[in-house]
Amino acid sequence: MARVVLDDLMKSYGNFHAVNHVSLTVEDGEFVALVGPSGCGKTTTLNLVAGLLPITSGDITIGDQVVNDLDPKDRDIAMVFQNYALYPQKSVYKNLAFPLQMRKLPRDEIDRKVKEAARVLDMTHLLERKPRELSGGQQQRVALGRALVRDPAVFLMDEPLSNLDAKLRVQMRSELKRFHHDLQATIIYVTHDQLEAVTMADKMAVMNGGNLQQYDSPAQVFAHPANMFVASFIGSPAMSLIPLEASTVDGNIVLTGAEGWSLPLSSFNSRKIQNAKTRKVVLGARHSTIKLHKTAVSDAVPAKAYTVEPTGDVTFVQAFLSGAIVNISVPPNVDVAPDEQIWLEFDQERMHLFDGETEMAIKAD
Amino acid sequence: MAETSTARARPRKRVDRWRWAGRIFLGLMLLYTAVPMVWMLLTSIKSGFAAMQLPPQWWPAEPTLASYQKLLDPQNSVGADFLHFFWNSLIVSTLTTILGVIVAVPAAYAFSRFRFPGRNFLFFAVLLRNMFPAVIFLVPLFILMRWLGLVNSHGSLVVTYLTFGLPLSIWLLKGFYDNIPIQLEQAARIDGATRFQAFLKIVMPLSVPGIIATAIYSFIGAWNEYIYAYTFLNRNDQLTLPVGIQRFFSENTTDFPGLMAASFMMSVPVVVLFLVLQKYFVRALTEGAVKH
Repeated sequence: MARVVLDDLMKSYGNFHAVNHVSLTVEDGEFVALVGPSGCGKTTTLNLVAGLLPITSGDITIGDQVVNDLDPKDRDIAMVFQNYALYPQKSVYKNLAFPLQMRKLPRDEIDRKVKEAARVLDMTHLLERKPRELSGGQQQRVALGRALVRDPAVFLMDEPLSNLDAKLRVQMRSELKRFHHDLQATIIYVTHDQLEAVTMADKMAVMNGGNLQQYDSPAQVFAHPANMFVASFIGSPAMSLIPLEASTVDGNIVLTGAEGWSLPLSSFNSRKIQNAKTRKVVLGARHSTIKLHKTAVSDAVPAKAYTVEPTGDVTFVQAFLSGAIVNISVPPNVDVAPDEQIWLEFDQERMHLFDGETEMAIKAD
Repeated sequence: MAETSTARARPRKRVDRWRWAGRIFLGLMLLYTAVPMVWMLLTSIKSGFAAMQLPPQWWPAEPTLASYQKLLDPQNSVGADFLHFFWNSLIVSTLTTILGVIVAVPAAYAFSRFRFPGRNFLFFAVLLRNMFPAVIFLVPLFILMRWLGLVNSHGSLVVTYLTFGLPLSIWLLKGFYDNIPIQLEQAARIDGATRFQAFLKIVMPLSVPGIIATAIYSFIGAWNEYIYAYTFLNRNDQLTLPVGIQRFFSENTTDFPGLMAASFMMSVPVVVLFLVLQKYFVRALTEGAVKH
């Protein structure tokens, strides 16, 4: 196992930067998720680490070695592809043996390792089958087995679960996590599913438009999103982002909505606004940090319910506020009807404030 | 109740009618293609006299294999020529096929996988050749062959057939490579293969049906070609079959059973090739490689 360092990594196609000045370190044994919407550069980044694409500039280090110009085969990596990429003409056994044969291991050692991998992944009975005779979940296992059989320095995984049905995906998610725990493997895992990233990874690298937006533990990214993109991408339902105007009334800082209401801020939040350079402020709030009132309460702002979605455990209410849609979760026994007048109270401790111009989180100091 | 059952029956009747129309059409097509072949076969086992009778002898009264015996007998002058022509055709067609595959495989792979400057133009240029009838090139190519000193050699035919066969071969094979997921090669390269090994060990075996289709196509093209063989070759010992069997026509008499027997023999290799290799067309080899 080894650490992986990306240093100022660039991949450009003409003027288009698919990967733009990305720097991050994956520590030995860490599970890092590259997450972002499609086209954000996460798969390109993975392919650069794999050596399947030439880099434009920057450095990639695996272990102690700069691998910029090394062939994929010399990087000591293994990769699991989204579509599994099993060799269709080869049996499962030969699929697993192929990476070992290419490394010219003795035949009895290959046999031992293939059988061991098959045992670990519980597919000894499938060894003689061809990929087309396997179910999607079994194919996925073979793809994982082919990566695992070689004991590489780094595992690269490109959306390995996205072709599985929902139930199997949840099951494989925990198995992958256990696999990481047992092997203490260094894993770089690409996904567009923020839930996969949050549940499995030690650290997540949120990407958008080729740029690294934030690189931290899922808990940190969730609690302190660096900007509005990360705030809206991580968490489900998404964080509500409400554009407001900051002003000073009687020496206190208040935020004013498009409807004319104003929301006084706590002293901690007021200090943040004083540090900000702009009066355009975006208030970010997760559904669970907003309290819904059916009557006017002090510090609560008026809104109109739009849709009500009961899910069993909680009911999600969507409401319009200052031109934005706000998600609120309420206990299932709270009865709200569409178009009903409601009042929303924001938790001052857990609200996020963003600079409306730069879209960056406003810092306290 | 009665109403629903008639409503249900009506569309089925329409389907039946179309199915019958389709069968009749297929039957006519079968007659159209099969009758000349059957007639060829029947004539080849008649005597020279029976072949010329009017009204025709539909079914040979006294079938004989004499024509075949004559053709396959190297002691007989007709047989010696025929076997010689057969051999010439075999050499030219096989060489064309092998060289064609050797050139078409890497070319098609490159067109399918690599983005290089001039790629689109080159691919267009390759296909452009197919837009002109072959006869247009007859005189220029003859002049070129004379200049190269290749007239009266099988080399002239192999080179010509390659230039005509390759465009479609490359185009056909490119389609096959386009359908082989690139992730298979990437996986192989990560698993320890060089780019060339990934091609050789993973991609090549998967493109076997494409290669066979291409090979059959170029073999048949070369095997049946007439006009270039007729123009480029003058020496008797070098003629290929399509030109050679003309010798059954002569000024005064035509040996129709012999001509038909030779024609039948000429179609044998193509049919055998097809029968032996057709199983490769049926199966989609990449099945199970990737999940979509």
